[in-house]
Amino acid sequence: MELTESKKGGAVVLGLSGRVDATNAGVLEQRILALIDAGEKRLVIDCAQLQYISSAGLRVLLIAAKRLSDSGKLALAALNHQIRDVFDIAGFSSIFQICRTQDDAVAAVQ
Amino acid sequence: MNGELTLTVKNDLTELARVSSAVAEFGQRHALPAAVLFDLHLALDEILTNIISYGYNDNREHEIVVRVTLPAGSQPRRIELEVRDDGRPFNPLDAAQPDVSAPVAERPVGGLGIYLVRRVMDDLEYRRQQGKNVLVMRKTLAG
Repeated sequence: MELTESKKGGAVVLGLSGRVDATNAGVLEQRILALIDAGEKRLVIDCAQLQYISSAGLRVLLIAAKRLSDSGKLALAALNHQIRDVFDIAGFSSIFQICRTQDDAVAAVQ
Repeated sequence: MNGELTLTVKNDLTELARVSSAVAEFGQRHALPAAVLFDLHLALDEILTNIISYGYNDNREHEIVVRVTLPAGSQPRRIELEVRDDGRPFNPLDAAQPDVSAPVAERPVGGLGIYLVRRVMDDLEYRRQQGKNVLVMRKTLAG
């Protein structure tokens, strides 16, 4: 997994690439929680370069959604077909805002 | 075309990368569709992560044997994953089913792995045999 970070329209955009599984989900969790603890309230997770995610990664996204549910906004962008299927199976498509593009996701968290 | 891949992995999460590349190579060799390959990766990843993280009561090294087979002549083509471990008895078919329609606040964190496996594979068969957990997961390839 590679993790990139940028600011766009008041939102923090985290770009994920490669694979998120049990070996690296902890790194993602720490980074997201550090951002939330630092007061970031608008978070976009760009999955355009993400090839794979397991339940260990879904767990981190759920933790982020719980932390931001009262005081912030979270949107995901550009999920590939297979990852979208995993989201559907896990029932995550109904609890996350999922956008086609990063720009749409940035707009969604305003 | 039939095919078989056998891997012996240690109870260490860093082994997942090795399993993943071997399965990717197997998939390429047998021209498995990308969506099927994704599901196979997911099933093995979830099951192995569970065994490695929760399966052992000691801190010793253990061996887990993974077999991927594409039986010759099966029509339609069927793929079979078998995982054998000497961890504590665990039948994934007994795992509680999560409520995937609950709102965020009521979602428990965790417990999705086995559920994903049951959904992406067509059937699961578990037995405890000679002190080992043996899990067989099958998936039929469309077309």
